[in-house]
Amino acid sequence: MEKNNFWSPYIAGIGLGLTLLATFYIIGWGLGASSAYSLVTAVGLNEISPGYAGSLKYFSRYLTAGYPLKDWVLFEVTGLFIGALAGALLSGNFRVRFDKAEKMSSKKRLVTAATGGILIGFASRLSRGCTSGVALSGGAQLAAGGWIFVIAMFAGGFVVAALFRRLWS
Amino acid sequence: MTAPLYGYGMFGVNTSLLLAVILGIFFGLFLERGGLGNPHKLTGVFYFTDFTVPKVMFTAILVAASGLYLLSDLKLLDISRVWIVPAFFWPQIAGGLLFGAGFVLSGYCPGTAIAGFASGRLDALVAMTGIGAGSLIFAVLYPYIEGFYIFSAMGSVTLPQLLKINHWFVMVLLYVLAAGMFYLMERFEKRS
Repeated sequence: MEKNNFWSPYIAGIGLGLTLLATFYIIGWGLGASSAYSLVTAVGLNEISPGYAGSLKYFSRYLTAGYPLKDWVLFEVTGLFIGALAGALLSGNFRVRFDKAEKMSSKKRLVTAATGGILIGFASRLSRGCTSGVALSGGAQLAAGGWIFVIAMFAGGFVVAALFRRLWS
Repeated sequence: MTAPLYGYGMFGVNTSLLLAVILGIFFGLFLERGGLGNPHKLTGVFYFTDFTVPKVMFTAILVAASGLYLLSDLKLLDISRVWIVPAFFWPQIAGGLLFGAGFVLSGYCPGTAIAGFASGRLDALVAMTGIGAGSLIFAVLYPYIEGFYIFSAMGSVTLPQLLKINHWFVMVLLYVLAAGMFYLMERFEKRS
């Protein structure tokens, strides 16, 4: 197990809230994450098969720009990676591993990580964003959409946790 | 009133991208240091074993919301120039439910998966690949679900606008709810 040297969740929450506030003040929108995945997928598909990527109406929003990768959220998540890497390295929490519940097989973990990821990727597009762009940023704006998503997300999570009780134990 | 600075043309696109990286660094640092790169802590709330996620999330929401509406009331920030998250009632209900399911299964969400991968977790990279695949599935199915995607659009409406009350009433309600929630979580964690 890793060292349990995390900061108080309230301190981390204050830092995160001030970062979000600074983003509202400086840029004029909130923090995001999921759109970067959709963008990179669209650009990647466009490299492999421009014809098929071009035929997908939803992806056209990313591909019409002159430089699709010059995207604000993509740059922001690049920073996210750097900041998290710095935090993990400086605190001695960086360790290459395949993290899973103690009794779970690696094969099962591969399936849960991939399936969960697919659900999240699909759901984020339907919801107009994820925990960062809709729940956190929208929640802080007191946006109705943000709070609808927060409530539904916790409801969905509790149902699945009740169905798979020993998934993480 | 000159903020949001980017919206008022204080700098160009390239500077905004540099600032995106800087703001992202703080975002990632606080996520990782708060324990939100760790799938055990991320899923703990759903099993009543670890309440890190709601503690970090609602503290951040309260801090940012208080600052946003305070700056707006002091006329230091033009909130009409801030892009407000739009509401689509049924798509966000369905999306939220599916998202919560995926969150518990994978142990991550899009931002925290990057924080997990940055702390050396290869399972997070699998989840990240899945998120990309899920986006692709959405794009492929989009012609069939477009009707639902735009159904029950409410616009970029906020709770104070919807309830026709001052935003500070909503804030006070949130402070009280959060205080009660944090108190119960601390008590529950101490007992178990």
